[in-house]
Amino acid sequence: MPNFRKLGIAAVLATGLALTTACGAGDPSANQSGGTKKITVGVSVYDMSSFITQGQEGMNAYAGANDIDLRWNSANLDVSTQANQIQQYIDQKVDAIVIVPVQADSLGPQLKAAAAAKIPVIAVNAALSDTSNLASSVLPDDVAAGEQEMTAMAEKLGGKGKIVILQGPLGQSAEVNRSKGIQNVLAKNPGIQVLAKDTANWKRDQAVNKMKNWISAFGNDISAVVAENDDMGLGALQALKEAGKNIPVVGVDGIEDGLKAVKAGTFIGTNLQHGRVELGVGLAVAAKAAKGETVEKNYVYKMPQITPQNVDTYYANVVTGKDEFLKKLPDLITKNMASGDISNEK
Amino acid sequence: MNTTASTVSGKGRFSDISLKNVLIRNSMVLVLIVVIAYFTYRSARFATPDNFLTILVAAAPFALVALGQTLVILTGGIDLSVGSVIAASAMSAAFTAVRYPDQLWLSAVVAIAVGALVGLVNGLVISLLNVPPFVATLGTMTAASGLAYVIGNGAPINGVPTDYGNFANTAILGLTAPVILMILGFVLIWFILKHTTFGLRVYAVGSNRNAATLAGVRTGSMLVRVYLISGALAGLSGLMISSRVISGAPSLGQGYELDAIAAVVIGGASLFGGRGSIWGTLLGLLLIQTLNNGLDILVVPAYWQSIIKGGLIVAAVGIDVWATRQRRP
Repeated sequence: MPNFRKLGIAAVLATGLALTTACGAGDPSANQSGGTKKITVGVSVYDMSSFITQGQEGMNAYAGANDIDLRWNSANLDVSTQANQIQQYIDQKVDAIVIVPVQADSLGPQLKAAAAAKIPVIAVNAALSDTSNLASSVLPDDVAAGEQEMTAMAEKLGGKGKIVILQGPLGQSAEVNRSKGIQNVLAKNPGIQVLAKDTANWKRDQAVNKMKNWISAFGNDISAVVAENDDMGLGALQALKEAGKNIPVVGVDGIEDGLKAVKAGTFIGTNLQHGRVELGVGLAVAAKAAKGETVEKNYVYKMPQITPQNVDTYYANVVTGKDEFLKKLPDLITKNMASGDISNEK
Repeated sequence: MNTTASTVSGKGRFSDISLKNVLIRNSMVLVLIVVIAYFTYRSARFATPDNFLTILVAAAPFALVALGQTLVILTGGIDLSVGSVIAASAMSAAFTAVRYPDQLWLSAVVAIAVGALVGLVNGLVISLLNVPPFVATLGTMTAASGLAYVIGNGAPINGVPTDYGNFANTAILGLTAPVILMILGFVLIWFILKHTTFGLRVYAVGSNRNAATLAGVRTGSMLVRVYLISGALAGLSGLMISSRVISGAPSLGQGYELDAIAAVVIGGASLFGGRGSIWGTLLGLLLIQTLNNGLDILVVPAYWQSIIKGGLIVAAVGIDVWATRQRRP
């Protein structure tokens, strides 16, 4: 009687090997023609959120137009996973590393190692607290985003009301800064009271349950929902729909479903963080640093405010006309780097 | 204390087990009552029909997974892959829904099929290759999670047709579909465990796999079926969660396997197999979900909630181990 166990393990190993050779890109340097060496950039992101996935499209577009070999890794919201990924890029001797950090206070040893190996590191979208070993940071003005969304909501409420706040993962710079921005505006609006605030980790399904529970707790006392990103705002909308309530919701990021909500009137507005543009710029800065050109220490992406009045133009860029937008993107980025207005989309 | 005499008849053996089970179960019922009383005291809005319904709606996806996990744990196994199966099936369903918006029933079929397929793989690897369930399902958990990311190219799926929300949001008599499925699921699995030979054999395999095989139970095919059911239920759960928020996210269901195991264990089932009841799982499930809801109403921060839940699980397992020792003369 054949030994099933040994056969089984052999079959699994064989399939595994076959799959890896089939799926692998092979050795990129084997295809080098003469001329300028292709730049390799290693990217490690905190998670594949809607925003980051958009960003990947932008980075791929820029990489394709500028002959950059892009390596991609997601850390699943785990700090030590990200540390390992950075270390692997250092070991692979990439020309530059782009990080969208899981946490602001992390990666110290890895940054030191990268500096020792003379690999420039760029933080994009979320900040790293220790910038001494960073070549540059490309960061959205999250404080301004928090202020913009809270101001829009304060105006909608006429300066009076009771709100709930859905936060991002606690400790990530985007959450810390957006919360700060929201607080700044709340300080100027004493008529607005915060009933509850807690994290839903940028996730729609966590937000829906949290919001349902808050509706149970506070019922009709809630006048509005301030969500630190669109995904959570959309989760809150679902909860409100289930409870048969209709109150204003505001978000940040301007993902496809978020822009649709602004068009439909269920969001009072949002703030556009066009991942394709922001991460594309991050890659452009990384490429510059890899080539040894000077880069600024800080690039600031100021989020355009999306209102029902201007949502249609941006919807075209982000959703319906995105392929045309991606074709124009590499040139747009070069233009924006020169002018300094990196969030510009005209 | 007639343990030896009562093992002759099958009924006696089970009634001896369920006596202890009843004692343990009662302690958890007491805990649940205390928890509900506390929250009612702290907040007038807790003990309302609307809020209890909110708890049931939040519990439903976990319930489906816990039902499958109960069967698996009763056989002495464990299924760590269910969280990732939720993600993979949700992504598959959302993917299908975007491409076939006029045949949404297809998404439902795809979701359950993906779950069943992973369950089948689990069952075959465990029964044919004799790989321990922990290791086998750990492997499929990792693979299924990867699959979820591959389907969306690493992305959550936006732009899912609004009608996709009908699966989770259609209501009959005020109860939404997931809640109805939860109730049906509990009744069905209770019936299977209590009144069918399949159920009898599940307990037999869990109590003593070798003795069951010698007695003529086809343990291999039994295990395959149990893991297949667990996977299919996880697939159904994935469909329900993604339908409620009308999108598919590759990180959906993360950690659900632990919540399911916690519910089963708090309910008095033994992780060694052969002991436990479906009502115990229901109790464990309601306890966890009531805690989630009540702590949110009292605005206790998310990380404190994790500490409290974790403590409860350890306490429940501790009682189980202590009670098992008490049974041996």
